[in-house]
This record gives sequence, structure tokens and C-alpha cells, in this order.
Amino acid sequence: MTPRRGFGPALRSALASPVRTAGEIWRRLRSWRRIRFTRAGTFFVAGTFAIGFAAINTGNNLLYLLLGAMLGAMAVSGWLSEQTLRSLQITRRVPGGGHVGEAIPIHYRVTNGKGFLATYALELQEPGLPEVAFLAHVAPGASAGARSSQVFLNRGVYPLEQLTLATDYPFGLFRKERDVPVRGEILVWPRIDLRVRLPAGAAGRRQRRSQDSQGSERGARGEYRSLREYRPGDDPRDIHWKATARTGRAVIREFDRAAAEALWVSLDVGTPEGDPAERAADLTASLLARLLRDGSPVALHAGDRVVPPGSGPGQLERVLDALARVEFGSADTAPPVPRDRCVRVTAGSRPVGWADAILARAGAAPDGDGEGAAGGADGGAS
Amino acid sequence: MRLELVHRRLVVLMALSGLLAFASGAGFEPISAIPAAAALLASLFWRPSETTVEWLERLTIPLALLLVARAFLIATLFGGDLVVPVVDLLLLLVCFEVLRSADMTNDVRLYALSFALVLASTAYRPGALFALSFLLFVVLGSAAIAIGLVRRKSIRFGAPDATLDRSFVVTSLGLSVVTFAMAIAVFVTFPRVSRSWPGRGDVAATSIAGFSDRISLGQHGATIAANPEVVLQVEFPGGRPERLGNLRWRGRSYDRFDGVVWTRSDPDRPANTPVRWLSARWPDTTVVQKITAAPLDVPVVFGLNPLRSVEPDSPIRPLMDDVGDWFYWGSPSRPSYTAVSTAVQPDADALRASAGSYFPDPDRYLQLPDLAARVVQLADSLTAPFDSRYDRVASIHRYLTTEFGYTRDLPATARQTSLDHFLFERREGHCEYFSSSMVVLLRAAGIHARNVNGFLGGEWNEFGDFLSVSQNEAHSWVEVWFPGHGWVEWDPTPAGSGGGTAAGGWWTFPGSRLFSGLSYRWTQWVLEYDLALQANLFGRLTEFLGGDEDGAASTEGGLPGGVWLWLVGGLGGVILVRFVVTPRPKSVRPESRAWGAFVRRVERTGLIDSDAVPPSELLRRIERERPEAFPAAERFTTLYLRLRFGGVDPDPADLGRLRSLLAEAKRAVS
Repeated sequence: MTPRRGFGPALRSALASPVRTAGEIWRRLRSWRRIRFTRAGTFFVAGTFAIGFAAINTGNNLLYLLLGAMLGAMAVSGWLSEQTLRSLQITRRVPGGGHVGEAIPIHYRVTNGKGFLATYALELQEPGLPEVAFLAHVAPGASAGARSSQVFLNRGVYPLEQLTLATDYPFGLFRKERDVPVRGEILVWPRIDLRVRLPAGAAGRRQRRSQDSQGSERGARGEYRSLREYRPGDDPRDIHWKATARTGRAVIREFDRAAAEALWVSLDVGTPEGDPAERAADLTASLLARLLRDGSPVALHAGDRVVPPGSGPGQLERVLDALARVEFGSADTAPPVPRDRCVRVTAGSRPVGWADAILARAGAAPDGDGEGAAGGADGGAS
Repeated sequence: MRLELVHRRLVVLMALSGLLAFASGAGFEPISAIPAAAALLASLFWRPSETTVEWLERLTIPLALLLVARAFLIATLFGGDLVVPVVDLLLLLVCFEVLRSADMTNDVRLYALSFALVLASTAYRPGALFALSFLLFVVLGSAAIAIGLVRRKSIRFGAPDATLDRSFVVTSLGLSVVTFAMAIAVFVTFPRVSRSWPGRGDVAATSIAGFSDRISLGQHGATIAANPEVVLQVEFPGGRPERLGNLRWRGRSYDRFDGVVWTRSDPDRPANTPVRWLSARWPDTTVVQKITAAPLDVPVVFGLNPLRSVEPDSPIRPLMDDVGDWFYWGSPSRPSYTAVSTAVQPDADALRASAGSYFPDPDRYLQLPDLAARVVQLADSLTAPFDSRYDRVASIHRYLTTEFGYTRDLPATARQTSLDHFLFERREGHCEYFSSSMVVLLRAAGIHARNVNGFLGGEWNEFGDFLSVSQNEAHSWVEVWFPGHGWVEWDPTPAGSGGGTAAGGWWTFPGSRLFSGLSYRWTQWVLEYDLALQANLFGRLTEFLGGDEDGAASTEGGLPGGVWLWLVGGLGGVILVRFVVTPRPKSVRPESRAWGAFVRRVERTGLIDSDAVPPSELLRRIERERPEAFPAAERFTTLYLRLRFGGVDPDPADLGRLRSLLAEAKRAVS
């Protein structure tokens, strides 16, 4: 995206509507950039005032010369920092998601569209996020890449509306900032490293699947059901090559066994927001990750969000995306399968009528039905 | 070349230009400035070892304390120029800082110290060398600070250094050019409201070799040393005169001679300026001279003889005394004035026909010391054949200019310094012997005469379009009274002596004239720039732009253009700053305040050099440099991040815990 340039558009619209133009100019003046004094800049400006005062009182012409140079340095600083932030095309690349507590890299590509002036000492900051990406130099007409690593403390969707470009260049007297709209979002998944016991029934499924895998392919994967488009994480062995060749897009076969044998995990979204609810989300994610690592097909129900049965890394990403977007305190819904086929994870009271239940309390070990629970919120990976 | 090395060298050169700026005003002090310059030059190529740096630090601290004590004593007890001890201290610190390792932490100190040197030089009246060093300072400083900033940021964010490409060099040069241009623009347009700074350098000198307040024949045993110091700089608004070598810049007349020394009978007493009297007697052709004089302890107004009028261009009041000499009241740093003189002297026929009954006081202008009889006989023999006053004077003049030789060698012994010895035995000497001899011979013949000193000729500076008169041109000659014409100049020193000019010396190099021209213009346009000049400049500008032709005199009627320019510019600037600059948010979140306190504490330990370090980078540094403090720092940082960026406003319990963790973390890193 290209930052806005000058008053050109405002002046054009002036012909159409003077009032709107005045408003536009006012808005640009106010939002165009921010200038803040650095500590050195504060001293410098104070020194300039002092030298100006001395020059006027003594009539010492050399002090006027120094005063002029200092004012000149300030003017140059303002102009050049403005140029530094101009004509930059910025693209942001964020990963599909990242887990709470882990560093999530955000990559930026900055292209300097200026014909002659390079951009120096450019800082790129996402409002509200602590880490800053930095580029020492972007030559005129060239591109350069920078990266910042952000650590998020809470699961969720972090919308990235705009990016703040900032620079102290050239003299470090003032910090000039400019906001440019670069839309995007970062998906912060819940943790998957909590130790959580396998729910009742999951062990039996694993045993049966192990026996199936020793038989024919058909037996191991269940009955063929349909074709669908390939999604990242799907098993490449399931690609239907003929259909792929015909359509030009990767197509895979779906088998009934995943749907039939998938373990449904239902997250209680009716509990209010807070640490217990977040812990329930972490437990759900950790449970699903563990099952998927073991090769079990899983499905997720969380309020109005449902992830159909599936397996593999792609399924993990799908359930994590869904969990990242879950909003606690919303209306809970009935799962698409009978409750006795679902494992319920909740931060509330012990549920009744489910195949199994896992209770979450902030800072405490996950509570099951009295067996196999281990590890606290900060416990190691299972 | 690595950016670090380029930056360090730029900083050192910046400090050198600061030193040069100071030296251009206060001169090179052998004890401080020369070692400092040596240290700065050495630091361009030499990196002392850690041991050497430690040793230097141990040496520097007591020396610095000593210099502080010295400055304190000068300020409180002894009195004197406080700038010099302060600058000595600055130079010591500069030397120490440049010889330290090239890490980034002391660069800002070096910028500040270099700037302080330039600032200190403004307390003096530095010459044109200041302009060069100031230009260098701006150019080097712009590049050094810009490169330093990029380096510092790169280190802070762990980014690779920027490369020094063509764009960087051009940008840095552009920065300095614009900065310099702004400096000149502000200098020219900023309204002057007070008189120009007198400076510390141009204190009134004692009588300098060449021109003095008396004429003495008593010196012996040496050669008159050449002295290229410029004493007068003269512009001719009406055009350059043709025969510059014949111009006599008259100073003072002397009437009383004791055989060795010429003195003045009475102190200066103001008299009415006889403009009408002079205009009536001399041809109506004038030469206008704009003269800037070096400071002397004798308040003499120099000019071509006879002076008709003198208008001050500096805060002086020119006056003429009752013997026709000009002097001034006031003590300016550099007296400057516009003198109007008669261009030509009366010719021989006019002088031969001169008639009148008035003669000046014979007790003053016919006074003679005890003379040897042969001196009086010589005067008689030279004048007896002639009837007219002019011919008698011309005879003595001819005798001296043709029969005697010129030398700058002084008589070998005291006995040989007498006029008698000059006239009858040595028969060669410098201008004072010739003028003294002529006056004595004239007076012995009954003709009113007096001795005069000043300067003869000068050197035209084509770079500055002015005549430069130095001490080498110091000269003395004679004035003879002719009724109806007044005092008429006669110069008995043999032609070709060129006043007192000595050949050879550095000042005869071609570049010296260029430098002299620059110095003159520097003084005139920079050091002496004041409200009058400013008004004149804006008046010319107005005229050039087709405005009011009387703009030059606008100081009388209102504010000069610069004032309006600044008023409008200042108002525009205030409006722009008010509406464009977004102030920092007034309310700082409590967790941010806690974070700021922690970062400042870490900064004081030297682990970081700025308070704008991201949390992860700060933790990395603490883990690397202070592993024992890491757990506490991590606990605090984690909670801070949770409260600041967690999306939920912290409650008082959270903040209380943050404060306790802050205290713990601060203790750990201290």
C-alpha cells in the first residue's frame, strides 16, 4: 500500500465542495504525522532558545550564526524525516497463526518508491504490540525486508488495521510517526502443550485403529465417501490423481471412517470470559493436538462453530483457528452428534450426559472424572 | 570501510573543526590546544588498548578536577578570562573521549564537546578561519550524527549496518548545505536589536611597531623588524585611485623635539571642523574613503590629507583638534568611518606664490633643541640662495632625497642615534631620521614645520577590492606651513623606500592576499553585521525587487524587512506546530510508567544506551550481561506485557503486584 501524498486529492475535491475540502485538509493536518521530541531533541531545542536569547542580548553575530545552524538542523530534520516516511510500499506477511506465549514472526517488505532519496532508520510498529521491526536502509527504488517477533499472552484474533512508520532520522532530535493502513490479522491459537489425560473411549479407538492399519488400505481408512478439494495438512496419499488432473486442482478422497470414528470434543462457551474459560480453551486445544498426533480423527464443537471430523496437521490448524475465534460468554448450542459421543470441556460445573468431561480451573490441574489428570497450566508438554 | 570506522573518524574530524574554530578566535594555546590536536589526529589512526584507556582514565579524572578547581578560582578569586580554563577542560575531555574505544556510548558526548568548542569560540572575534571551521563543523557534524543515529538504531534492533552508498553521501552533503544555508538565512534576516559583540580578542593593543604615539630616534642596535599586521583597510566608493603607493594616511603631527623624541605640546582639544575653510582653499576634488582601522591605544583617525570631514560607521565620535589632527571619542572594537579628503595638493607655482600674514605659533613650530652649529650652518647653506619659501623648502627636500640613503638598519650605538650623526656621518637611516632632519633644518631656517606620522601606500587586495595597509607601511613625513594654503606635505625620505615595507615573509605569498580579503569581508559582513547593515541590505533588496527606492533608509521609518519576515515566519511556524505536531498523550498508563522506571534504571547501569529498547531486547541483554538479575527482570517484564498489551485494563491488585515486582527487578539490576 502506498501512503497518501500531499494535498493533491484534497485540492481536487476543493473544486467540488469547499466545506468538505476544509474538513479534509484539517483531517490531514491532524493525522498526517506525529512529531515528538526525543530527549536529545528536548535538550537541543532548549539550547537553541538559550543561544537565541544570548544572541539577542549580546548582539554577538556568531551566536546568530550558530542559532541559524541549529534552526536549520531542526528544519532539515523535519523535512528529511518526512521524506524518509514517504513513498513507501509496505506489505505485511503473518503466519497462519501462532500459539499463546510463543514468538510469532511478522515479516514486512518495504519498497522505497522514491527516485533518489533512500530511507534510513525506519521503524515499523504495530499499534498495541510491543516489538518493533527495523530497517537501517532502503535504497531508492529497492526493497528490503524486516521482521518483528511478537509474543501474545491471550488467544484470539488480533486485527491489524494500520502500521505505524517511525523514524528519528537524521539527527535523532524528533521522532516522526506516520500511520499507514495495512490491513490484516494475527490469529493467536490457544496453547497445545498442557498435559491432559485422554478421555474415556479415546484409548479404545486408538487400539482399533492400530489393528485396522495392519489390514488393507480400505479397511484402515473406512469406506470411500466423496471427493473434495485438498486442504493443507491432508494426507497426500488420499489425493485422487485422476480428478486432480481433470480439474487442475488438488482433489482428495474422503473416507467414512474419519466421520464414524472421530472423537467429538465440545467446548463450553457459555462460561464467562476469564482465566478459567481461557484455560478450558487451552485444554481443548491440547487434547485435540494430542489426539491428532496419535492419528485419531477429531471434530470440534464450540458454540456455533463446528469443525467436521478430520485428521492430520490440516485438521489441527482448523480446530485451532476455530478455538482462536471462540468468544466465551456467548450462547452455547447443542453438538451436531449425540452428547454421549462427545467429550465436554468446560470451566463451569461438571456436566452430565456427555461421554466424558474435563473441567478447567485457572492455575489448577485439569479435572477429569477422577482418573489420569496431571499437570498444571504451566505443565510440560504431554 | 566499516561504518563504525567512518563514523568514528567523522566524529574526530568534527571535534578537530571545533578546535580549529576555537583556535581561530583565541589562538592556539601551546599547553592545551596543541596536545588536544595531536590526540585528535592520533585517534584517527590509533586505537589504544584497554589497559591504555584505563590508564588514561586514571590520569584524566584528577586533571579534570584540577582544571575545574582552576576555573573556580579564576571565577571567584583571581578574576580573568574564564573561557580559557573552561576550554582547557573541554579539550581534556575531548582528548579522553576520542581515545576511548569506538563504542557508541560516548558519541553524543563528543558531539556536545565539539559544539561547546564552537560555542566558546564565539566569545572571541575569530577571523575568517572560523568560517571555514564552522562550515567543516556543519558538514562533518551532519554526516556524523546521521550515521551515528543509523548505527545506534541498528545495534539496538540487531539489524545489519546500513551501507554507505552514493545516496547516503549526497544526502549528508545536502543536509549540511541546507543547514548551512539556513544558518546564513537566519543570520542575515534575524532582526538585530543590540550593538555588535565587542569580543575578547580585539583588546586595544599597546603601540604597535610601525605606528606609535611619538617619534623617537633613540633606538639602536638592530634592524626594524617587518610587521605585516594590517592596521587599515580602505575602500574607495568612488573608484580605486591610480597611484596607491603615494597615498599618505596621515595620523598625527608632532611639534616638540628634544633632540631624540618628538612629542605633542598639548593634549587633544576638539576644535571646529574647518570644512568651509578647507573647501575655500583647496580644489573641489575629493576622495571618499571607507576606512576600518585596527584597534590602537591611540584614538587616531587616519585619512588622506587634508581631511575635510569624517562620518562614523561605528560607535565613535570623530573630532578635529586645534592643530588639525583628527581623533575620536569612544572605544569601539574596530573603529570604522568614512573620510572625505581633498584629492590633490597645491602645485609648485601656487605654493611659490603663496602669500599671507598668518603664521602658526612660532613657539611650537619653530622650536628647536640644542643643535650643533654645523646643523644650523647646513640649513643656512641650503636655503640662503633662495628667496621664496617654497624654493627654500624644496632645496632642503632635494638635499635629503638625493644625498642620503634609506636603510632599516638602526644605528649601532646610542651615540650614533643623534640627528647630527645622521646628517654628517652616517647619511642613511629610516624615515624618521629624514622627516626629523627636514623639520629641524626648516625650523633652523625660520620656516614653520612639523613632523607627521602615519602610513604610506598599501597593498591593493583584488579579492576584496580594498587597500590593505599594514604596519610595514608605517611612515613619517613633514608638513610645512604655507600662508594661504596651510600645512602642506613634504616627504624627504628617498623615493623607492616604499614607506617601511620590508621584502619577503609569508605575507607576500599570493594566498595571503586572498586570506586577507576574506578576513576583511568576514569582519565587515559577519562580525560587524548590525541593524544598520541589515536595513541597508533589505533596502537594496527592496530596490532590486522594484519596490521603494528609499528602502535602504527604512530603519528610520519602521521595522526592517527581516523583522517582518520573522514575524510572519514565526507566526506560520507556531500555527504549523500547533496543528501538525501531535503532543504526547498526557496520561501515561501506570504500567508504562513502571516500565519506564525499570528501563531508566537499566540504562543507568550501562547495559543499554537508550530508553527506547523493546522488552525482548532488554531481557536478552540482561540475560547475557547480568544473568543473576534475569529471573526478577523476566517476572516483571512478563507481568508488564500482560497488563499493557493484554487488552484488559489492569486492576489495583495487578498494579500492586507490578510495583512490587518492579522494586525487586530494580534491586536485581542495580
